[in-house]
Amino acid sequence: MIYGDKNTGVIVQGATGRQGAFHIDLMNRYAESVGGRGVVAGVTPGKGGQEIHGVPVYNSVREALLEHDASVSVLFVPGSAAGDSIMEAAYNGLELVVAITEHIPVHDTMKAISYAGIEGCSVIGPNCPGTMSPGELKLGIMPAQLAMRGNVGVVSRSGTLTYEVVNELSRSGIGQSTIVGIGGDPVIGETFVDVLARFEKDPETKAVVLIGEVGGNLEEEGASFSNLPLVTYIAGVSAPPEKRMGHAGAIVAGGEGDAGSKIKRLEAMGITVAEKPSDIPVLIREIL
Amino acid sequence: MKLLEYEAKDIFRRYEIPVAKGIVVKKTDNQVINAGELGDEVVVKAQVDVGGRGKAGGVIICSADEAATKANEMFAGEIKGVPVETVLLEEKLPITGEYYVSITIDRSKKAPVILFSAEGGVDIEETARTNPDALRRVWISPVLGEIPDFMMRELLRDSPKELAPAIKSLYRVFCGSDAILAEINPLVTTEKGVYAADAKIIVDDNALMRQGISVNRDLTERERTAEELGFSYVELEGEIGVIGNGAGLTMSTLDMIEYYGGRAANFLDVGGGADRNRVCSAVKLVAGMDGVKVIVVNLLGGITRCDEVAEGIVGAGVSQQVVVRLAGTNEAEGKRILSEKGYQMLESMEEVVKFAVGEAGR
Repeated sequence: MIYGDKNTGVIVQGATGRQGAFHIDLMNRYAESVGGRGVVAGVTPGKGGQEIHGVPVYNSVREALLEHDASVSVLFVPGSAAGDSIMEAAYNGLELVVAITEHIPVHDTMKAISYAGIEGCSVIGPNCPGTMSPGELKLGIMPAQLAMRGNVGVVSRSGTLTYEVVNELSRSGIGQSTIVGIGGDPVIGETFVDVLARFEKDPETKAVVLIGEVGGNLEEEGASFSNLPLVTYIAGVSAPPEKRMGHAGAIVAGGEGDAGSKIKRLEAMGITVAEKPSDIPVLIREIL
Repeated sequence: MKLLEYEAKDIFRRYEIPVAKGIVVKKTDNQVINAGELGDEVVVKAQVDVGGRGKAGGVIICSADEAATKANEMFAGEIKGVPVETVLLEEKLPITGEYYVSITIDRSKKAPVILFSAEGGVDIEETARTNPDALRRVWISPVLGEIPDFMMRELLRDSPKELAPAIKSLYRVFCGSDAILAEINPLVTTEKGVYAADAKIIVDDNALMRQGISVNRDLTERERTAEELGFSYVELEGEIGVIGNGAGLTMSTLDMIEYYGGRAANFLDVGGGADRNRVCSAVKLVAGMDGVKVIVVNLLGGITRCDEVAEGIVGAGVSQQVVVRLAGTNEAEGKRILSEKGYQMLESMEEVVKFAVGEAGR
């Protein structure tokens, strides 16, 4: 539990859209199944007074917090307005924003994350599936049925590839402490470094699976800071240069950030790199 | 999306970065070229997006009288295989000094980084090797909005102070045009002042709409169709078509294909929550590529419903073999639909890839 537990109060920004409404329902069903508080309020400017799956909607974060106690926002606001909404959450004193939204202009993301930092608010994402601590808290869109409570932390730039790995782990009887999708954009709030630092302080986490991909060097940066046993996997060994592989940040640019050199640098640090996602459970067992 | 030099220079003018007097000539316009107003000597520049344009014959200095002939020669030919549709004719600047400045985004620092070099007009990577002392770098917090004076002093050091306004304006260009790269190489000094002799801007693909750009020119026609359908799509050169959901899972599927000795024809991420119509158009799109022998569909449903996916695959009814791995919501129903129609289904990503590589090799 590195981002909260059953008692964490959650609001959803962008509550009345298709995605927002759908996931309010799923998050609250999960909260109910584990006895958690879940989503206590929604926010959509101009839609105050509505109810979404029994959750009251307010016009602003400020109004929502007057009536409800919450420390986290999960954000489904469309790309063009998402940066502004992150800043609204930070300004109103929330501790964490989980930004699910894809296609936020990168200048908006940079400004919003920078401002959130000044206000003492952490940001997961954008362009991410969120985070969950099995049996405690689900923030975002991860399919809860694949996860199982245990001692392995999972941190990843990808969504579905994370589900794939979590599925493999659970099927091998290896549970997870917290699963974090940090997002596929070039600029993101919580990086591998930040998440690994949280895992180190978390008594439940004994080892970590780090799932990276082409683009940037956040994987190496993160791995070099960690004292926990790590198994890594890097997607995109076959990715051609200068092509954006789905994620805005997944690009081998100017000869940098290719999977081969990432893997080499990780291995040079003595870190285990799995060749295939299905090898991860075996490798984790070896180091646990 | 990359802007061409003349488009970037139009933006520079709006932000008061001085650029040479110029005339834009389009191939299709058949306009009468009167380069005389630019002076006795002019620079003829092909507006193509290729590296090393000058060396490839895309930049020619000639007399004003010859300019029209040179421009027409460029229209008739190609620069590194790229046809020339637009030519920029410019006055020749009396250059006294050349510098380099670029602004990009530092992913680790989550902030714009400004790179200045006292050696302009050359490849910046070359300078990094031969004269690293000439390179200066500052990171500017995104909440600042302007380059503070101390950072400007740090960038320029003993280089001419006259360069400062152009660099400050370039930062405004960078923010105002949602750029992920804004570069002037070279930024030149002349007896009549400082000029941006070249201009490069790459606009963030996520901000094209608010920048008033409706068509992303960097994409191939098929990539554009895919984008309109809401897919992430990259063309490759193999014979195994790939459809996945999520960028990481799809990339990993491509890696598995390579691992087992096959070659992927494409990368296609259908995105989250794909319904039958989206899956159907994805299968058709991939099947429509030349040389695709077999198609791998690897979908892990979170919000994606497997029954919808199955109906989409069946609905596409393409001639190539489609092999499927489906897991998640409504999995049993999805599998029933596919098995009734005789589709090959496998339980894991590895199995489905291994099978497809085998089929492609037959």
